[in-house]
Amino acid sequence: MDGGMSYQRFPKVKIREVKDDIMKFELRETDASLANALRRVMIAEVPTIAIDLVEIEVNSSVLNDEFIAHRLGLIPLTSERAMSMRFSRDCDACDGDGQCEFCSVEFHLRAKCLTDQTLDVTSKDLYSSDHTVVPVDFSDPNEPGEQRGIIIVKLRRGQELRLRAIARKGIGKDHAKWSPAATVTFMYEPMIRINEDLMESMSLEDKRSWIESSPTKVFEMDPITQQLKWHLKLEVQVVGSRLTGEEGREDASYWLSLFRDVPMLPVKVVAEPESYTYDDEVIKKAEAMGKSGLVEIEAKEDSFIFTVESTGAIKATQLVLNAIEVLKQKLDAVRLSDDTVEADDQFGELGAHMRGG
Amino acid sequence: MNAPDRYERFVVPEGTKKVSYERDTKIINAASFTIEREDHTVGNILRMQLHRDPNVLFAGYKLPHPLQYKIIVRIHTTSQSSPMQAYNQAINDLDKELDHLKNAFETEMAKHSREY
Ligand SMILES: [Zn+2]
Repeated sequence: MDGGMSYQRFPKVKIREVKDDIMKFELRETDASLANALRRVMIAEVPTIAIDLVEIEVNSSVLNDEFIAHRLGLIPLTSERAMSMRFSRDCDACDGDGQCEFCSVEFHLRAKCLTDQTLDVTSKDLYSSDHTVVPVDFSDPNEPGEQRGIIIVKLRRGQELRLRAIARKGIGKDHAKWSPAATVTFMYEPMIRINEDLMESMSLEDKRSWIESSPTKVFEMDPITQQLKWHLKLEVQVVGSRLTGEEGREDASYWLSLFRDVPMLPVKVVAEPESYTYDDEVIKKAEAMGKSGLVEIEAKEDSFIFTVESTGAIKATQLVLNAIEVLKQKLDAVRLSDDTVEADDQFGELGAHMRGG
Repeated sequence: MNAPDRYERFVVPEGTKKVSYERDTKIINAASFTIEREDHTVGNILRMQLHRDPNVLFAGYKLPHPLQYKIIVRIHTTSQSSPMQAYNQAINDLDKELDHLKNAFETEMAKHSREY
């Protein structure tokens, strides 16, 4: 049945920057459907752990019980464990009770204000039964003394809050509190071509006003004769040849050496192609100036720039890897079952029979 | 009040098949696959992958209604292939693409942590 044919793609990845909870990377040689599937899975289907059940013992605060329960649910918990944990609904160790060690984590909170000073009850007051699943710590390592828990409620003298909470594994599709993604976006990489002949026919004044017409800073004036200022990524277009710069190159002499053998002078540099918002303003401006075709801008259909920001529940890099894994599992789940294939084989024979085969 | 439970969106009810297959009664080598509890995430990547297969004459998916948590993928192929073969092929190719992506991403991560 399998003809050994394959129409597989081999996407390429380039990481631009990574921090614990934010990353940027380039994804190439695939299409928008896969980029979008990854984005959707990161937002709605990568599991995390969040508080799902709250038993309030005492609450004399100004917020009502369900308000506090809702706030507790939204606190991000460190969720490295989530991928290997069980969903409570699939857990056979606790008969759907959803409170056993395989599918839940227990938290306790006790706070009472005994002074005239307002007491902040924060995520740091939550005590976990599992040291790997704790409220995300947003404190600044440079300022160790500073308290940076997430405020749950404020208490005045005599008020008290005492509760037990159960955290469970879940996905953003069920409730946004389980989403590990703060933002996940991707953009198409723009390809910008400038007609040098037309550009040369323009006065300095016209060039300036054309550059100014872009709402975002996409273009910049001639860097050769003036001071060199390089941005993250730049593409230099010189008559027929094209030079693409690497990130981090701020060494002017290196750049000048690239131009040595190229017949050129006043060159227009695309300062930051990615700040282009596909607004068409520079194209309209060129037309208005009687210079149609001065610039051509197209979105490369197989190149994407991703920005991934996590809530802190898992690292941004882990979020991407988990999304790939979850998408693989989803695909595996939609494979045809053997009995479906068999039933159709019989149907096929019957059909052939009826057609006189 | 009468809103469906949230889990209805992703839990396949007991006794329901995840994927069911139905041949077209009029056109040869055409069929519909009904996939329970899936949406655009799977529907769109499957459709686009099927379009890469030259034996696929038509491939499309629809989400019939936002409160019916299923998608329908329709495939029509040449006689060189069959909807089932094309469907399996598309899943296999996507699976391999994701394996490749995972490796590429991990390699980049290792490179990045060494450099900085
Ligand atoms: Zn359990």
